[in-house]
Amino acid sequence: MKMTPAMTMAQENMQPGVITEEGFLGDETIPVVDMIARDEGEMRDAGLSFVDTAKRLAYFMEEGQKGLGEPVTIDDKWLIRVVDPRGQLPCPFKDGFFHKMTAQITRKETNESVVVTDLSIHLLREHHFIEGKGSRFRLEPQVMKRVLFD
Amino acid sequence: MMIIIAPGAVALIAAILAAAISIVDKVVNNYGEVELDINDGKKKIKLDGGESLLSSLAGQEIFVPSACGGRGTCGACKCQVTSDVGPYLPTETPFMTKENLADNIRLACQVKIKSDISIKIPDELFNIKKYDSIVKSIVDVTHDIKEVTFDLQGEEINFEAGKYVQLVVPPHGKIKGSTQRAYSMASKPGEKDIVRLLIRLVPGGIATTWVHTELKEGDRVELVGPFGDFFRTPTDTTMVCVAGGSGMAPFMSILFDMLDTGELDREVWYFFGARTVKDMFYLDELRELEKKMPNFHFVPALSEPEEGTPWDGATGLITDVLDKYLKEEIGTDKKREGYLCGSPGMINACNNVFTANKVSLDDIFYDKF
Ligand code: FES
Ligand SMILES: [Zn+2]
Repeated sequence: MKMTPAMTMAQENMQPGVITEEGFLGDETIPVVDMIARDEGEMRDAGLSFVDTAKRLAYFMEEGQKGLGEPVTIDDKWLIRVVDPRGQLPCPFKDGFFHKMTAQITRKETNESVVVTDLSIHLLREHHFIEGKGSRFRLEPQVMKRVLFD
Repeated sequence: MMIIIAPGAVALIAAILAAAISIVDKVVNNYGEVELDINDGKKKIKLDGGESLLSSLAGQEIFVPSACGGRGTCGACKCQVTSDVGPYLPTETPFMTKENLADNIRLACQVKIKSDISIKIPDELFNIKKYDSIVKSIVDVTHDIKEVTFDLQGEEINFEAGKYVQLVVPPHGKIKGSTQRAYSMASKPGEKDIVRLLIRLVPGGIATTWVHTELKEGDRVELVGPFGDFFRTPTDTTMVCVAGGSGMAPFMSILFDMLDTGELDREVWYFFGARTVKDMFYLDELRELEKKMPNFHFVPALSEPEEGTPWDGATGLITDVLDKYLKEEIGTDKKREGYLCGSPGMINACNNVFTANKVSLDDIFYDKF
């Protein structure tokens, strides 16, 4: 697929050392548009919609904040710990700034976790970008399906 | 003919171009020697222009707090600039309050020194040093908190209990640059030859993952400090302290310093919240302290105690426990000070409880890092 100038700018901002030390691309070198197209397919295969997944993640982020930094059990099934280091990150697409708030969402019965930030929820919802494979904050569709939903 | 360029090549070309632009900038925009005036002539330094204010100051061994490698994303490096250095960058404005803008507070990492410049920094920053330390011991105090003790190798650190240092995390794995993170010292001012930190694993956190998976006893690590405005008042006002997790650190320093310096009679309440028994630590040390300081009360509380695990302390969210004690045990008729160590969310929640119990916001202390 063709890279628009906005996508090219975003891909540059996603390189290691620009916005974050490790960047957003993980081990991948393909164009961001192609990653997005592939991941839209992976989300579809997992039966997940971007809107509902973002809503679900935002719900856990909000509930997890009630633990005031300590893990808190939500709906009996999930253990959420929200950490809120001070500071903000710009979106690589340059359409906003996001707190560095991070949530670890663990499904209690399997102990499997998803780690998500305010910025990664925005990237998923607005840009259908779930970070490159190998990135610390990659939101793997199959893992999200297992961990986040009933 | 159509030319197809692989994205790896695009990234490489972008990197080469960026490097070329920076070299051209250095050569073409030769800013020459400039003067950096600190605190109305208290210190005047001649240096080569072209670098950021943050790195220029570090080059002179003047360390402004920083936690993002100068990328403009932590907001820790705020500094008052009293000469004209041009308009705010889009990277700076999200961090600025109205008062900051009125005082021309800038992010030192985003301000490039191109001509003579005047700044104002707190005098304490002149006392901040870089320490070349060796990891003396690493102890697991819970399943996700490590107590790490650093030997300063003959150097001494002078600080008030409650202050913090920045740990310099060296490049490792995919992390090409060094990064710094702030941690409150758990060691006491009397222990000048060491620094002890409590480091809790943060999901996805670069620094804490490095400490938890790679750092070993005997490793060399740089520490920068002491920083911060968090310390007890020199009064006998009742202290009400609240923490959870690694927020324990500054209170270990403050409480054991009080013991060392003979401040045994001040009324101190310490509320420490954890989820389960396996997240609790230093209980024995603090129970011992209660025996030595007659007016010290330690209130550990579990928010989700597990069935079948014995627990005889308080239960509930730490803010609910605090509220109950403020009303029923400590009382609202005398002056009280709040001391907090935790996330912005925890601090907000505690501030609400304190103000609802007639503790003025001016009497609540915490560090903003
Ligand atoms: S060092 Fe982080 S914003 Fe300047
Ligand atoms: Zn965006």
